[in-house]
Amino acid sequence: MTQVTRAHADWDPMAQFVADPNDVRDPHAELARRRRELPVAIRPAGARIDGFEVYRYDDCASVLRDNETFSSESIRVSMADFMGKYPLVGMDEPVHRRLRSLVAQAFRQKTLAHFEDDLVVPVVDEMIDGFAARGQAELVREMTYRYPVQVIAVILGLPKDDYEQFHRWASAIISVAGRPMEGMQAAAELRAYLERVLEDRRANPHDDLITELATVELDGERLDDEEIFSFLQLLLPAGAETTYRATGNLLFGLLSNPAQLDALRADRSLLVAAVEEAIRWEPPLLITSRVAVRDAEVAGTAIPAGAQVIPNIGSANRDETRWDHAEEFDLFRESKPVISFGVGPHMCLGMHLARMEMRAAVNRLLDRCPNLRFDADAVERDDVHIHGETFRSPTMLPVLFDAA
Amino acid sequence: MLRIEIDATKCMGSGNCSFWASGTFDLGDDGVAFVKDPAGDPEDKVILAGQGCPTQAIAIWRDDERIV
Ligand code: HEM
Ligand code: SF4
Repeated sequence: MTQVTRAHADWDPMAQFVADPNDVRDPHAELARRRRELPVAIRPAGARIDGFEVYRYDDCASVLRDNETFSSESIRVSMADFMGKYPLVGMDEPVHRRLRSLVAQAFRQKTLAHFEDDLVVPVVDEMIDGFAARGQAELVREMTYRYPVQVIAVILGLPKDDYEQFHRWASAIISVAGRPMEGMQAAAELRAYLERVLEDRRANPHDDLITELATVELDGERLDDEEIFSFLQLLLPAGAETTYRATGNLLFGLLSNPAQLDALRADRSLLVAAVEEAIRWEPPLLITSRVAVRDAEVAGTAIPAGAQVIPNIGSANRDETRWDHAEEFDLFRESKPVISFGVGPHMCLGMHLARMEMRAAVNRLLDRCPNLRFDADAVERDDVHIHGETFRSPTMLPVLFDAA
Repeated sequence: MLRIEIDATKCMGSGNCSFWASGTFDLGDDGVAFVKDPAGDPEDKVILAGQGCPTQAIAIWRDDERIV
């Protein structure tokens, strides 16, 4: 026990950015080869998740759409130690549909337009306040890693004094794969904390998401406490980790393509396309998983009942039969739906929020940090790159700009 | 001219169609999509939006031919 406590004290969540033991830089060349040569492969032995991996866009989409053949139960099982009993993303029908329509109801009652100006922009601005006068920043540590967690804290309606603690729990939960003890302990503490908040909101309703979840009603159905906690706990891995990584990839794509960044600076209406292109080119989450509940076939490969099936989102998004020069970041390409948010009944509930957060972050950076560019010396010295096999994002984002 | 139908029993309220073709699709207060203007966007956008529907709730015809 003492050991665990000491490890916790020494633990620097930021270390993951520089010293990732699985520093997979470029899975894309190999993925492209598989897309061409073997559309479905048995995932290499030793990989964290074994199963049949699917590489082409249309095949990934058919797996994700067919939730009667391909169950999400494997996701629930993999999350069982640190998530609630009913994580939406890991539930099958008919439970999933009931939960989804209830939480969607709670999400909808607040319009995103009001979120952007009242909640998200102030959070982003506060982060930028921290470095605007310096003319230089490391945007992963000083902004992208932090702002989506804070947005969730604000949407939930947590008191400002609790943000620091909430961030610590979030970091530990997000890093649960590498540090299971800390992750599980944080998940338990967060759960106890949320129980207190929910109890309070039942007595004193606020204008926030927790109150909304506690009171939402659809066709006489309501969410029970366990369902509410499961949803709230899911928001950190599902909503914060993905969004911070996606924002990092968007900034990396723009900063390494200065002509595109200049075009965007001059014409912000390109932001919508820039976000779509970034999540196509380097989605923050490369794979998801399903289990075949009966014998099935994908692209001519027989999948026995009980086998895991892993749609590779990162590969599907670069399917050359769907996109020209698919390996390049090009915000001027003709936009068409990507698979980064999944598809089918589990398609991301937070996709409009995530897109808006990313737009707001880049918009405010460009407004407040004139002449924003990569710090070329630091990029070279620190060997800055996007890395990761399951989750991908930049190691760092050292930038220079004209100080405010 | 395209003819568009949305199957309300299949629509999960994702808002994907209104993201891709916001002149054509909108979400009602009940969270179900509806067609507000079948000619609200260029045809290719409307078709992309239809194909992108996560639950295949959108059907599109050109003349008598079903294209989505
Ligand atoms: C760029 C950022 C994001 C990406 C790339 C992303 C990606 C995904 C993907 C791929 C899925 C489907 C997983 C599957 O089918 O197995 C999903 C589901 C989900 N996402 Fe996101 N997400 C992002 C942001 C968010 C945000 C901000 C929220 C918070 C509200 C969120 C909440 C959820 C939830 C609750 C689900 C489960 C939906 C269901 O099972 O019905 N996500 N996301
Ligand atoms: S894309 Fe499909 S599921 Fe989503 S709102 Fe439109 S019709 Fe409904």
